[in-house]
Amino acid sequence: MSNRRSRQSSSAPRISDDQIIDLVTKLREILPEIGQRRRSDKVSASKVLQETCNYIRNLNREVDNLSERLAQLLESVDEDSPQAAVIRSLLM
Amino acid sequence: MNTYNMVKQEFIKKWITTLHMLDSSVEHPLNVTERKNAIRLSSDIAMAATRSGATIWSRALISRTRKYTTTCKPVAHRILKKARNRMKNRCTTITRNGIFGAKMRVRKRTELLKSLVPGGELIYDKDYLIRETLDYIVYLQAQVDVMRTVAAIDSVTRDLS
Repeated sequence: MSNRRSRQSSSAPRISDDQIIDLVTKLREILPEIGQRRRSDKVSASKVLQETCNYIRNLNREVDNLSERLAQLLESVDEDSPQAAVIRSLLM
Repeated sequence: MNTYNMVKQEFIKKWITTLHMLDSSVEHPLNVTERKNAIRLSSDIAMAATRSGATIWSRALISRTRKYTTTCKPVAHRILKKARNRMKNRCTTITRNGIFGAKMRVRKRTELLKSLVPGGELIYDKDYLIRETLDYIVYLQAQVDVMRTVAAIDSVTRDLS
């Protein structure tokens, strides 16, 4: 890792192929879209970055929606209701 | 039990704590929006706390949420304090990424990514940014998975009762 860093700072400023391949490999495991779409290693860096940004945005949006949904679901939950008991037992 | 399940387990524990902390500090009754914000806030803090101070994104997220609540301050303080020493030795070397023609797209999207990952704007090293991004995504997924499960259980029991 330290080799890569010193190599990067001393050579011309660009993302090395190593980094792109590394990132793509790791992201492929996590991002469903990229993995299914292409099999070649030559996925462009900008494409990968774009997919990553989209994915993060979608995840954040989903957290927001789920918060909204949970807020609505919990709205009428009182302490002794079965829902409360189930949630408690699930989370504890 | 694999690592991802352990992350989710840890997140659940932390989330219960933050939910209780927030619950005892707000004025009841809450309207839906207030409740939603409280749930979102507690979830984010819990996610960051699960990672604790080992990453930039988790600490940035904690300090970002600090302004919305005073009750979670002790948790935030503990995490930030623990991480301060760890971060002192981290290398954030500035690498100049010149705008050479086709690299413009990559640079633009890197900037976008930096704005999406908490604390990303503080990271200059590309290796570092990529590592933080991958880490952040894993914990985001755990957060989504857990919240999805809780929401599903709640609606199912509601239908049955």
